[in-house]
Amino acid sequence: MQRQVSLYTLLTVVLFSSFFSCTKEVDFDQAEDLEISPVLETSLVFFDETVNSFLVNNLPVFIIEDAFDLDIFKNDFVVDNLIKAEFEFEGFNSIVRAFEIDVAFLDEADVELHSFTFTMQESTDGSDVPSGHIEVFENDKLTNLTSTTRITFALRMLPGTGVDQTTPGRLQLKSKAVFYLNIEG
Amino acid sequence: MLCFIVVSCNFLFSQNKQILYGFSDVPQSLLLNPAKQLDNDWYFGIPLLSHIHAKVGITGSTVYDIFADDNVNFNTKIRNAVDNMGSNDFYSVNQQLEIFSGGFSLGSSYEKDKYISFGLYQELDFIFYFPKDLAILALEGNQNNINRPFRTNQVRLAAEALSVWHVGYSKKLNDKLTVGLRGKIYSSLANVNSTKNKGRFVTVPGQSNFYDHIFDVDLEARTSGIANLDGDNVDPGREMIRRVFFGGNLGLGFDVGFTHKINKQWTFDGSLLDVGFIRHTKGIENHEIKGNYTFEGINPLFPNSGSGQSAEDYWNEIEENFEGLFEVDSTTTKYTTWRPVKLNTSLNYAFGKETFEECNCTQDEGQYLNRAGLQLFAMTRPNKPIMALTAYYYRRLFDNLQVKATYTVDSFSAYNIGLGMSANLGGLNFYVMADNFLQLENIYDTQSVSLQLGFNYIFKKKDED
Repeated sequence: MQRQVSLYTLLTVVLFSSFFSCTKEVDFDQAEDLEISPVLETSLVFFDETVNSFLVNNLPVFIIEDAFDLDIFKNDFVVDNLIKAEFEFEGFNSIVRAFEIDVAFLDEADVELHSFTFTMQESTDGSDVPSGHIEVFENDKLTNLTSTTRITFALRMLPGTGVDQTTPGRLQLKSKAVFYLNIEG
Repeated sequence: MLCFIVVSCNFLFSQNKQILYGFSDVPQSLLLNPAKQLDNDWYFGIPLLSHIHAKVGITGSTVYDIFADDNVNFNTKIRNAVDNMGSNDFYSVNQQLEIFSGGFSLGSSYEKDKYISFGLYQELDFIFYFPKDLAILALEGNQNNINRPFRTNQVRLAAEALSVWHVGYSKKLNDKLTVGLRGKIYSSLANVNSTKNKGRFVTVPGQSNFYDHIFDVDLEARTSGIANLDGDNVDPGREMIRRVFFGGNLGLGFDVGFTHKINKQWTFDGSLLDVGFIRHTKGIENHEIKGNYTFEGINPLFPNSGSGQSAEDYWNEIEENFEGLFEVDSTTTKYTTWRPVKLNTSLNYAFGKETFEECNCTQDEGQYLNRAGLQLFAMTRPNKPIMALTAYYYRRLFDNLQVKATYTVDSFSAYNIGLGMSANLGGLNFYVMADNFLQLENIYDTQSVSLQLGFNYIFKKKDED
């Protein structure tokens, strides 16, 4: 009797342990192949202004400038995994004067690493004249971008027909950044 | 309808011990219903070996789905696994280790109608729900998900390590009814709790700019027993042992149960376990991120357009908005957690008395050799209760060897087969139980596995005959 019980107990334990050790082929090293590629988009700079915004004491101001600090590239995760970036601008101009936008990328020592310029053409008939620009950052240009800590914007009114408070029209700009990440395990 | 049942059962984080329940040859079955009369004079659990329990459960994709050595691109498998999972899928671990236990019967010499049992066990619970939206955001980003909300309320996580001191008392009121009560003192070693999160992040086409990014985030994680572990004068190992012995965050609870013998063959029983709470007052560290902000980009050239504010104010406001949004608010506010309450109930039918070979007749006073029945298990979770239904067959093979087989339907699977045995060699009792045998042909493809085993020393009543 005792022997039978011992035998059954042993059998059960062997049965249980054999079940728990059953596996099919798995390969946990595959985790090293992990590669995810999220694409993030974020709104950037925008404005929507009438001619009034370019007048001081009813006289045109030919250049409006500002700059802002950029913290995102102080983050190693972003710098290490960013493989491409795009800055996309979309503008509409219904003012009789053309405008030019300068965008410059500066590092901590205020050294200009990269810049680009695009024009928003004048409207001759008051209708919205579309304009656009896509700046693509890859390779060396991407390195310049990720070393950037400050971006300056300059909006210049180009020479042309005289303007005053009564000049109709608007100048609109929208922009976004697209960040292509590639994160490897 | 089926979908509804599947979804509503998905909140299961089961501590169901369907094989052990009602297996009264094993003293630890008293922890599942305090109203059982054990058929012994006294017992003690072999310290640290009397009850070892582990249960690992995952719903949705399995380890095998992701790591199978099948030459399918790993990232494709990850993608498929994420697609196949929902935010109610989860990973869970439940582990118990009995440190010591014992029990003895009381009453007149001809009828021992009371049983007292006591002990200390350690328990670990962990559950992590799969935050599907955030997984999609990490995999794809927001570019292809404009207008799609990424819900942060899917972040749900709870973990607790605790020790439980308990004393139980069961009394046979009459031939039909036995009742039992077990008092418990909980000492929580550590707790992490983040189950009531809210909010979302969504990118929608904007008015002034390409997009409006809407952040509406309300995340909170409460912890106890962790912040006070890394002090200079703290030896974590010694500190944990101190907490097992009432040094942790304390709580109180009870188990209650009954057994109703309907007639010689039918019994109905039920129990309610862990009706109790833990008050977290020591080593508290809570973190909260709460914010509401819509970002449409910046307007550095005309910062004061429309609003009349200065450029400096404009920049300060944007900065404050972002800082406010992601600022982690840390507090040490005390809190209370409720233990998940478990309900067990079963209807049992005993049949087939022992036959004597000599006369081919049954022994009138003998015990029934077989038992079959239905068991229902339910458990509270923050969202909704969960359930499992079990049909079982129990057989006394010899006086010293009993086996039980179970078939359970729950959220992990609709065909969970469990097997258990209890054997006595002299005074030594050994039991082992495991479930999900149908899936065990490949353990990596298993969604839930549970195992219980232990050794006791049981001093049996002398048989009258």
